[in-house]
Amino acid sequence: MSHDHEHDHTHEHPVPVTPEDAGSQALAEALHSSFAIVKVVMVLMVLAFFSSGFFTVGPQEKAVILRFGRPVGEVDKILLNSGWHWSYPYPIDEVVKIPITEIQKVNSTVGWYATTAEQELSGEELPAGASLNPAVDGYVITADRNIIHTRATLYYHIENPINFVFDFVSASNAVQNALNNALLYSAAHFNVDDVLTRDVAGFRDAVLQRVSDLTELEQIGIVIDQCEVQSIPPRQLLDVFTRVTTARENRNKVLNDARSYENQVFSQSGAQASSITNAAAADRARYVQSITAEAKRFSDLLPKYESNPSLFAQVTLVQAMGPILTNVQDKILLPERADGKPRELRLMLNREPLAPKTSSNP
Amino acid sequence: MKRNAMTVVIGTVLIVIFALLLFVFQVRQSEVAVVTTFGRPTRNLTEPGAYCKWPWPVEKVYKFDQRVQNFEDRFSQNLTADNNNLLVMVYVGWKITDAKAFFPKFAGGSTLAAQSMLESMLRSAKSAVVGKHPLADFVNADAKQLKFNAIENEIEQAVQSQLQTNNCGIGIAFLGIKKLGLPENVTQTVFQRMTSERQILISQFEFEGEAEAQKIRSAAERQAAETIANADAAATRIRGEGEAEAAKVLPVFQQNPELENFLLRIGALQQSLNQRATLIFDERTPPFDLFQHLPTNAPSR
Repeated sequence: MSHDHEHDHTHEHPVPVTPEDAGSQALAEALHSSFAIVKVVMVLMVLAFFSSGFFTVGPQEKAVILRFGRPVGEVDKILLNSGWHWSYPYPIDEVVKIPITEIQKVNSTVGWYATTAEQELSGEELPAGASLNPAVDGYVITADRNIIHTRATLYYHIENPINFVFDFVSASNAVQNALNNALLYSAAHFNVDDVLTRDVAGFRDAVLQRVSDLTELEQIGIVIDQCEVQSIPPRQLLDVFTRVTTARENRNKVLNDARSYENQVFSQSGAQASSITNAAAADRARYVQSITAEAKRFSDLLPKYESNPSLFAQVTLVQAMGPILTNVQDKILLPERADGKPRELRLMLNREPLAPKTSSNP
Repeated sequence: MKRNAMTVVIGTVLIVIFALLLFVFQVRQSEVAVVTTFGRPTRNLTEPGAYCKWPWPVEKVYKFDQRVQNFEDRFSQNLTADNNNLLVMVYVGWKITDAKAFFPKFAGGSTLAAQSMLESMLRSAKSAVVGKHPLADFVNADAKQLKFNAIENEIEQAVQSQLQTNNCGIGIAFLGIKKLGLPENVTQTVFQRMTSERQILISQFEFEGEAEAQKIRSAAERQAAETIANADAAATRIRGEGEAEAAKVLPVFQQNPELENFLLRIGALQQSLNQRATLIFDERTPPFDLFQHLPTNAPSR
C-alpha cells in the first residue's frame, strides 16, 4: 500500500512539466484520477479502521477491553455494561465478551450408573449386572459403607467474570469437579437412609454447602443459584429397598391406627365419665330437693296436727282417699251382712297374668 | 512542500508501526511469557502488558496460558491402612507459575508433558497418603473422624513439595477427590451385606410397629378404665354429699315422729294404689262408713 502511494507520487510530479502529446496527457489524467480514487479509498480505510472499534455489549453479557493485553480501567470499572462502546482496533485493544446473567448449569454423574439421557427417557437402560464395574458404573460410598447412586445438577451464574474467564482454562469444568467432590464428601458423612429417605433435604444442603465452599476457595467467581440432587439405591437392591419402604409405611399405618383407636377410647371414656358424674349430681340435687320439700310440708302440717291429731288424721286420710279412689280401676264395696257374719270372696288372680302390678288386697 | 510533508508523515507512521511489530509484543491478562536470548531463557514476564524485545534472531518470546488447567488422573486402586482396596480418582487445578522454570523443563513448554509428569507424581502421592489412612477416614458418619479434607490436603502437599523440589514452575491451585470406588468383586459383597441389613430393618419395622401399637392400645384402655373409675368415685362422693345435705334436714321430722309416720303411710298408700288396682273394702272404711247405717234394700235375713 505504502509503496503504491510512493509510486503514484513520483509519476504525478512530472505531469505539469511535460504536457507533450495527447496520449501522455490522457495517461497523466488517468493516473491523476486513479490516484484520487486511491486517496478516497485510503481515507475510507482509515475511517473503517477506527469505526471498527465500535462494538455492542448485549443485555446478557459484559465485556472487558484488554489494551496491550492488560484490562483497561480501575478494579471495579473493568466490566463494561450492555450498550455501545468503543475501543482501539485490534493490535492495540482486544474486546472479550463474557456471558454473565444467564444461568449456567453443570451435571455431576460420577455417582451414577452407566446410562445416557436417551436410554433413560426411552426406558431402555442396560440391565444391572450382579456387581458394579468401577470403570463404567459410578456410585458413592455412604458413611455406613453402603453403595448408592447419586447425581446432581448445579445452576449458577458468573459473578466475577475476570476470575471466571482469565483465571481458568475451563471454569465450568472446575465447577463440575467441585460438584463431584461435594457429592462424594457429603455421602461420606451421611448414612444411607438419611441420603435416600430420612434427610434428603439435609443431604442436598450439605452438597450445596460443600460446592459453595469449594468454589469460593478456588475463587472461580460464580454464585450458586440452585442445586438438585437425586439419589437412588443400587438397582441390584431396588427390590429389598422397596420392601423396607413398604415395611416402614406399614409400621406407620399400624401406629396411626393405634393412635386413632387411642383417641376413640379416650373420647368415649371421657363421655362416659362425665355422664356418670352428671347423673350423680342430678341424683343429689333431686334427693336434696325432695327431702327439703318434704321437710317444708312437714313443718307446715305440724301445727295443724298438734292442735288435734285424730281429726287431722281423719281429714287427711279422707282427702287422700278421694284421688286414690279416682285412680283405682275396680272398686268393690262389700256391705255388711245383716247377720253380721263375714262375707266370702272368690278371686280370679290371673286375670292379667303379664302385668306386673295387678291387684292388691288391703 | 505540503505533499512531501504528508509523505514523510505517512512514511514515518508506517516505519513506526513496522518497528513496533518487530520490537514490541503483548502479554495478555491470562498469559505468562518467557523471553529467550539466543535460546537461553532470560526474562520472566508474569504481568500483562506490552513489552520490548530485540527482534527474532536475538530474542524470542514464548507465551503460556497461566490460567488454572484441569487435570484428572486415572481411577487407580490403592491399599488403605486397614487393607481395603480403594479406587481413588483425584482432580487437580494446576497452573504455570514460573514460565522461566517451566519452559526448559518440558520440551517446548508442552502442557501434555507437564500433565504426564503431574500424573506420575499424583500416583505416588496418592498411594502414599491412602496407605496411611484406614477406610474409616474416607467415609464416616462422625464428622470429627472423617478425614476427607485432611486426605486431600496431604495429597496436595505431597505433590506440591515434589513440584517444588523439581522446580517445575507449576503450582497446584486446588486438589480434590473426584471419585471413590471399590473393586468390582467387593461391590458384590457389599450388596450382600446391604441386603441383610435391609432385611434386619424390615423385620425391625414389622415387630416394632406391632409392639408399639399394642403399647398404645393397652395404655389407652388402662387410661380409659382409670377415667371411668375416677368418675364412679366422684359419683359416689357426690351422692354422699347429697345425703349429708339431706341429713341436715332430718331433725325437722323428729319434732313429731307420729305425724311423719302417718304422712309416710299416706304417701305409700297413694303410690301403691296409683294404677290398675282393685280395691275391695267394707263399709267400715272411711269415707264409705257413711253407707254403714243407711237403710238398704238388701233382704235382711
